[in-house]
Amino acid sequence: MMGVLRTERVSIDFGGLRAVDNLDFQIGDEIVGLIGPNGSGKTTFLNIISGIYKPTRGRVYFNGEDITSLPPHMIRAKGIARTFQTNRLCLNLSILDNMLLGLYCQQQTTWWQAIFMSSSSSREIKLGIEKSLAILAHFNPALITRAYEPVMTIPLIDRRRIEIARAVVGDPRLVLLDEPTAGLNSEETNQMINDIAKIRRRSSQISIIIIEHDMTVISRITERVVCLNAGQKIAEGTFSEVARNELVRTAYLGG
Amino acid sequence: MGNKIYRYSLAGLSTLGICMALYVCLSSALLVALIVIALAIVILSVGERKNVIDKVYRLIGDNKALNLGIIALFILLLPFLVQGNNYLLHIAIMAGIFSIVALGLNFQIGGIGQINFAPAAFYGMGAYTSAFLSVKMGLSPWLGTLCGLLMAIVLGVVVGFPALKARGYYLSLVTIALQIIFTLMIVNSPWIGGPNGIPGIPSYQIGGFSFRTPVALGGIQLPYQVNFLYLVYILLALFALAANRLYNSRVGLAWNAIEQDPIVAACQGINLTNTQLLAFCLGAAYAGIAGAIYGHYTSFIGVENFDFSQSLIFICMVILGGTDNVPGVVLGAVLLTMIDEKLRDFSGYRLLMYGIVLIIILIIRPKGLLPKRIRVYQQKDRSEYSSHSAVVTGGSR
Ligand SMILES: Nc1ncnc2c1ncn2[C@@H]1O[C@H](COP(=O)(O)OP(=O)(O)O)[C@@H](O)[C@H]1O
Ligand SMILES: [Mg+2]
Repeated sequence: MMGVLRTERVSIDFGGLRAVDNLDFQIGDEIVGLIGPNGSGKTTFLNIISGIYKPTRGRVYFNGEDITSLPPHMIRAKGIARTFQTNRLCLNLSILDNMLLGLYCQQQTTWWQAIFMSSSSSREIKLGIEKSLAILAHFNPALITRAYEPVMTIPLIDRRRIEIARAVVGDPRLVLLDEPTAGLNSEETNQMINDIAKIRRRSSQISIIIIEHDMTVISRITERVVCLNAGQKIAEGTFSEVARNELVRTAYLGG
Repeated sequence: MGNKIYRYSLAGLSTLGICMALYVCLSSALLVALIVIALAIVILSVGERKNVIDKVYRLIGDNKALNLGIIALFILLLPFLVQGNNYLLHIAIMAGIFSIVALGLNFQIGGIGQINFAPAAFYGMGAYTSAFLSVKMGLSPWLGTLCGLLMAIVLGVVVGFPALKARGYYLSLVTIALQIIFTLMIVNSPWIGGPNGIPGIPSYQIGGFSFRTPVALGGIQLPYQVNFLYLVYILLALFALAANRLYNSRVGLAWNAIEQDPIVAACQGINLTNTQLLAFCLGAAYAGIAGAIYGHYTSFIGVENFDFSQSLIFICMVILGGTDNVPGVVLGAVLLTMIDEKLRDFSGYRLLMYGIVLIIILIIRPKGLLPKRIRVYQQKDRSEYSSHSAVVTGGSR
C-alpha cells in the first residue's frame, strides 16, 4: 500500500498545552477514522495537515514530499482538501459560487486574462459549473435547482453536503472531514454515511480522514481507526480492535 | 417573436428612463434632484419587494448592446442637451472621474471587504506625479498619466503589502495614517508647490490638437469640456467593463471568499497575500489614472482635492451606490457628485446637508441603492433556476 500522507512525531504546543503530542500517523488508499474525547487534538491535527497551524516539532509528508512548512493554499494545490467542524461555507454566496471555489485550485485564469481574454475565462467558468452541478447531483439532485440561491437559505444537512461537495469537486487526493454528522439527527446521519461512501465510489483515488463521535458512522465507513487522547495516539487498528482496547475505553469513560 | 420585440423595447425604454432621470438630476435645482432620487428609491424598494428589480436586471442584461448604445448616445448628445452650460458638463466630467476612483475602491470594500481610508491619497499620487512630470520635466501629459498610474500602484504595494498581513482595524488605521501623511507631505514639499498646489498643468494633445480648445462640429461651437467628457467616459466604460469581468471571474469570487472567511479561502487554494494585494493595486491604478486626468483637465491641483474628507466621500460613493455592484458603484459616484455640486449654494452648511442626505438614503437603503447580488453566470439558462432571493439578504461582516 502506497502511503499518501505520513506524519513523523508531530507535536504542537499552545502556550503550556501540548495539543498534539509526538503523533506518528499514516494513511494510504483508505478511509481512516480519527476518534477521541473532546479536546484530544483531532481538529488541531487536521489544522496541522492543512497548513493552518505549523507544528512545533515533527514533519508532515504528502506523497513523499515534505509539506510541513507550506501555507494552506499550496497544500490545497498539492491535493489536500477539507471541511470544517463548524460548517464554514460562504453564506452570502450562492451554492454554485461555493462549489466554484472548490475548483479554484484547478482553474488557471489570472486577473489579466479575466480582463483581456474574457472568453477563455468564461469558458473555464462554464466547465466548472458543469462539473459542480454534476457533483451536486451526486449528493442531492434537489440542490441543482437551488444552485443560484445563497447558502444562507439552505438547511444544515444540505450545507454539510455542499461543504463536502466543495472539498471533493477539485479532485483532491486526500479529504479531511471534521465531524460531518455533528448536529444531524439519525435519519440525516444515515444519509450522510451514504454520501461519504459515494465519494469513494466516485473515485477510489480519494483517501479520507474522518473525525467522528458517532461510532456507528465510524464502524460502517472506516477501514481503520486511530484514537487520540490528550494529543497522543493511544490505539490504532480496525474498529473492533480499537473498540476492545482498554485504554480507549478508559479514555472515553474517564474523559 | 412579438414578445421578443416587446422585451426589446421595454429594455430600451427603461435604460432611456434611467438616462433621463440622471439628466434631470444633473440639470435641475437641488430640490428637484432630491425628489427624483427619492422617487427612484421608492421605485427600487417597491420593486425589490415585488421581485421586479430582478426582471429589470435580466431585461437590461439580455439586451446589453441596445442599452449600452443608448447610454453611449446619451453621453454623446449631452453637450447638445445642456445647451452651452459648461458647468453642467464639468459636473458630468467630475462624475466620470469619481466613478473611476469609486470602481477601484470597490475592489477593496466590495471585493475583499477591507475599507481603505486613503483612496484620495492614491488619487492624489496619480495627479501629483503626472502634474509634476509634465509641468517641471516637460513630459507629455499622456506619458505623465501613465507614470501617475504606475506611481499609484507602487504606493499601493508599499502600503498594502505590510498592511494586508493583518486585516480589519489594523489595515484601516494604516490607511488613515497614509492619508494624513500624504496630505502633510504635500503641504511641506515646496518642490511640488506645497500649500499653493501646482498651477498651469498642460492639457492632453493629439497631433497638435489641444484638449483645451473648443471644437466646432457642423457649425455648432462646443466648449472644450466635450473633449474631456468623451475621454473620461470612454475610459469609464473600459474600466467598468474590466471591473465587471473581474467580478464575474474566479478573481472576483476569490475576493468575496476572502471577505467571508480568509481561512476557508486559503484552504480552497487562494493565495491570501497576492489576491488581496491585487485588489489594492488595481484600486490604486484606477485612482491613479483618474487623478492624473483630473489634473490635466482642471490645470490646477491643490492639496484640498486629495485630503481625508475627499477619501470619505469616495467611501460614501461605494457604500451608498452598493458594494460589489458595478452599476451601483457608478450610480453612487454620479449621484453624490451631483448632490455635492448642487450643495455649493449652501456654502457653510454644505457638509452638514451632504451628511444629512447620505444618512437619510442609507437609513432607507442600508445596503446601498443597488445592493450586492448573487452572481449569475449564464443569463439564458437561468430561467431553469429559481430566481427569488437573488439579492443577498443577510448582512456581511
Ligand atoms: N488556537 C489554539 N490556541 C490555544 N489552544 C488551542 C487552539 N486550538 C486548539 N487548542 C486546544 O487544543 C486542544 C485540542 O483541541 P481540538 O483539536 O479542537 O480538540 P478536538 O479533538 O475536540 O477536535 C484543546 O484543549 C484546545 O483548547
Ligand atoms: Mg474538533
